Amino acid sequence: MSDLELSVGAKDPDRPRLTLSRRLWSAVLPVALAVLLLGFATFDHGVLSSANLLNIAQQTSYLALFAMAQTVVILTRGFDLALGPTVSMVSVGTALAMAGATASGHGTAAVLLAGLAAGFALGIACGLFNGVVIALLGVNPFVATLGSYNIAIGIATTLSSGRPVQGVPPLFSQIFYGGSLFGVPAAIAITVAVGVLLHLLLARTVFGRSLYLIGTNPRAAAVAGLPVKRILVATYVLCSGLAALGAIMMTARTGSGEPNLGGALSLQAIAGAVVGGTSLAGGRGGVGTAVLGALFITILSNGMNLTRIDGYVQMVVLGAIVIIGVLLDRLRQERRQ
Amino acid sequence: MDVEIDPNPAEPLLRLRGISKRFTGVRALDRVDLDVHAGELHVLFGENGAGKSTLINVISGTFPPDEGTFHFGDEQIQHLTPQRAREIGISPVFQEFSLIPSLTVEENLFLGREITHGGVLRSREMRKRASALIDELGFDIDPSQRVDDLSRAHQQMAEIAKALLGRVRLLILDEPTASLTERETGRLFELIARLKSQNVGLIYVSHRMREIRALADRVTVLRDGRHIQTLDAAGSTDGELVELMTGRKIDLLFPTITHRPDKIMVDIESLTLADGSVQEVNFHACAGEITGIAGLVGCGKSELIRAIYGIEPATSGVIRINGLPYEFPTPRRSLKRGIAYFPANRIAEGLALSRPIRENASMTGLDLPAFARFGVLRQAAERVTIAGIMEQLQLRPLNIERSAGALSGGNRQKVMLGRALTRELTVFLFDEPSVGIDVGAKLEVYEFMKRLIEAGAAVIVVSSELPEVLALSNRLYVMHHGRIAAELKGAEKTEQNVLSSFFRDHLAAEVA
Repeated sequence: MSDLELSVGAKDPDRPRLTLSRRLWSAVLPVALAVLLLGFATFDHGVLSSANLLNIAQQTSYLALFAMAQTVVILTRGFDLALGPTVSMVSVGTALAMAGATASGHGTAAVLLAGLAAGFALGIACGLFNGVVIALLGVNPFVATLGSYNIAIGIATTLSSGRPVQGVPPLFSQIFYGGSLFGVPAAIAITVAVGVLLHLLLARTVFGRSLYLIGTNPRAAAVAGLPVKRILVATYVLCSGLAALGAIMMTARTGSGEPNLGGALSLQAIAGAVVGGTSLAGGRGGVGTAVLGALFITILSNGMNLTRIDGYVQMVVLGAIVIIGVLLDRLRQERRQ
Repeated sequence: MDVEIDPNPAEPLLRLRGISKRFTGVRALDRVDLDVHAGELHVLFGENGAGKSTLINVISGTFPPDEGTFHFGDEQIQHLTPQRAREIGISPVFQEFSLIPSLTVEENLFLGREITHGGVLRSREMRKRASALIDELGFDIDPSQRVDDLSRAHQQMAEIAKALLGRVRLLILDEPTASLTERETGRLFELIARLKSQNVGLIYVSHRMREIRALADRVTVLRDGRHIQTLDAAGSTDGELVELMTGRKIDLLFPTITHRPDKIMVDIESLTLADGSVQEVNFHACAGEITGIAGLVGCGKSELIRAIYGIEPATSGVIRINGLPYEFPTPRRSLKRGIAYFPANRIAEGLALSRPIRENASMTGLDLPAFARFGVLRQAAERVTIAGIMEQLQLRPLNIERSAGALSGGNRQKVMLGRALTRELTVFLFDEPSVGIDVGAKLEVYEFMKRLIEAGAAVIVVSSELPEVLALSNRLYVMHHGRIAAELKGAEKTEQNVLSSFFRDHLAAEVA
C-alpha cells in the first residue's frame, strides 16, 4: 500500500464536534469580555463610565484596524511581524511629507494630500517588499517580516533622526482624530467603514475566497489554477496598506510623526487576531474575529491601566495571551483531527 | 550481526491470525493470516494498495492492528511499538528511508542505541563495529560518510546494515532492490542466503517475478486487504501468481467503452523533465479515446501528465495541444486551454478539506463569468450551478455546504470531477483515478470518463492498477525508468505484454 493511500485514510474531521466547539468558542469570547469588564469594574467604577466606554471604543478602533490587517495575512498562513515598524515608518514619512510641503509653501489641501500619498506609498511599498520576498522568493513569512521589521525601524529612525517629526498641520489632526461623522468619532467611523468593506472583500469577492482556499490548502489552490503568488503579494500589500491607514490615524492623534509609534503593535495585532479566533494554520478567521480580539486586548489593557497594573507586567500578560491564544488554536486543530 | 537460533523450528517464528486494520473509510487489512518460519523467506505479493505495506507496518509496530492475534516466538505480542519490535528482533527495512541525512552512516547505525561509557559516546568502539558489520555484509560503503553524500543505492545498503545491527530474528525487506544495481543485488541475495542459513525469518515484498523465483520459499498473495492464498514458491507458476494478485472478478467492473479516435489533442515530442523522472518521451493522445499509461511506482508516468498540466518543470521537448505549441504550462493557463488534471493525492493537492463542497467544486472556475463578475462572486449562481453538477454526479447526501473533509474517498473524487463540469474542457488528465475509493465510486468514475470521450474529449489515465488501465484504455503506453517502454493497442494490450515491458531490463540483465 502506498503512502498515498495512507494519507487518504487519514481521519475525517469530526463534524458534529467541530460545529459544537466552534459555537462554544464564539460564545466564550463575548462572555470573557463581559466578565473582564465587570471584573475591572469592581476595582474601579470608572471602568463602566460612559467616558471610559467611549475611550475603549476609540482605542479598540485603532487596534481593530491592525488586527484586521494581521488577520488578512494570517488567513493565508502568513504573518506580519513588521506591522508595528511599518506604522512608525508611515507616521514619520507622512509627517515629513507634510512638513516639507508646508515649507515649500503649498496650500493646506495639497499638504494633506502629500501626507496621505506619502503614507500610503510607504505602506504599499512595505507590503510589496514583504509580499515579493515571501511569495516570489519563498522566504518564510516569519523570517521575512522579522527582517523587514528591522529595516522599517531603521528607516523610520534614520528619517526622523530618532526624534518626533513636527509640522503636522492642525487640520490633519482635526480631520483624522478630532473629526466626527454623524457624531461618531473619526477613528471609530473609519474603522467601521473599513471593517464593512473588508468583510465584503473577504466574503464576496474572488480575492477573498482565494485567501481562504490558499490558507486551507496552498498546494491544492495552486493545482486548481489560482494565481497563488500574485494573491499573496496583494495580501501583504493590503495588510501594510491597512497598517498605513492606522498609522495616519495615530499620527493625527499624536500630532507629530513618531519613530516609535508602532512599538508593541506587531504583537498586539497578532494577539488581537489570534485571541479572536483566527487560526495560524490558515483559512479561518475574518473581520469579526479581528474586531472581537482587538476589543478583548483593549479592554484588558484599559482595565489594567485603570487598576494601575504596572506597564511591564502588562507586557508579560500580553505575551502570555498570544501564547495562550495559539495554544487554544492548536487544541481546536487537534480536536478537528 | 548476532543471530539467535530458534529453539523450536516446527512452530512458526511469526504467527498472525485475523489481523484487521482500518483507516477511516478504507479497510486496509481484512482478517489477514500469516505464518513465517525461522529460516524461511516469505514473499508478500500484491498490487499497490493490496495491504502489503500496512501489514509490514503492523508487524514492525508502526501502528497497532484493530483486531487479530500476533505471536512472535513463543510470546503473544500486544501493544507493539517500533522500539519494542527491534528489541525482540523484528527489523524492518522500509522503502522510505529512516536514515538521518545529516549524520554519518555509523551515527545512523547506532542512532538511539549508542555505545556509551558513563554518558560519553565510545566512537572508536562504534566505528569498529560498524566497519565490521559493513565488511561482513560485503557492502561498499564508508561508515564515516554522511548519508546525504551517498547515492540512493548506498543509502539502501546503509539502511539494510542498520536493520542488521543487533539481534535479528525476523528481517522485513520492502522492495529492497528498487534502487540497487545488479551487482549490489547479487550481494544482497548472498546475504539473504546467509541469513536464512542462520535461521533468520524473512518477509520480502517485491513485484519482481525474477526475485520471487530466486528467493522465495513461500508466497502469500494479498488483494484488497485480504489474504488470498499462501503457496509454495516451487509449486506455483508466474501466471498463477499474477492471476491471484489481480483477481478475475474485476473484469466485470468496467463499462464497455467505444473509442472513436479523432484528431490528436495532446502531442508530446522528446519531453525531458528537470528532475529526470521523464526522459525524451514521445507520446500522443487523441480526442474520443482513452489513452492509458501504465508503469511501476516511480517510472515517471504521473510526472509526465503533471508536466503537461504545468506542475512539474520540463527542461526540453515540445508539448502541443490541439496542434498548437504550449510553452511554459501553468495550471491556470492549462485550464484556460481546456486541460484539467485530477491529482492522485486528493488531500494534498486536490481539496481544501475544511471548506464547503461548493467552494471546492468552483475553485477551478473562479475566473469564469459564470462564477464572478469583475472579481465579485456571484454566489447565488454558484450555488445553483454547483448543486446541479453535484446532483448530476450523484453526490449523496446532496448537501453542497458540507465541508469536503467530511466526505468519503469516492465523494471527494466526485467533487474533483465536479470541477471539470464547471468549464469547457477538452483534455482530461487522470492520475490514479480510483485510488482510495470504493468499488461503486470507481464505476462512476469510469462511466464519467466514458461520457467524456463520447463527447469528444481526450482522456489520459495514469494508473498503477493494471486491470484498470488495460480495461479502460484504447491505446496503452508502458513507462519504465522515465521512458516509454512500449505502446500497446488492440490485441497486444495484455497483462503479459505490460508485465514483460516492466521487467524487460531485468530479464535482459539476467541473460547478460
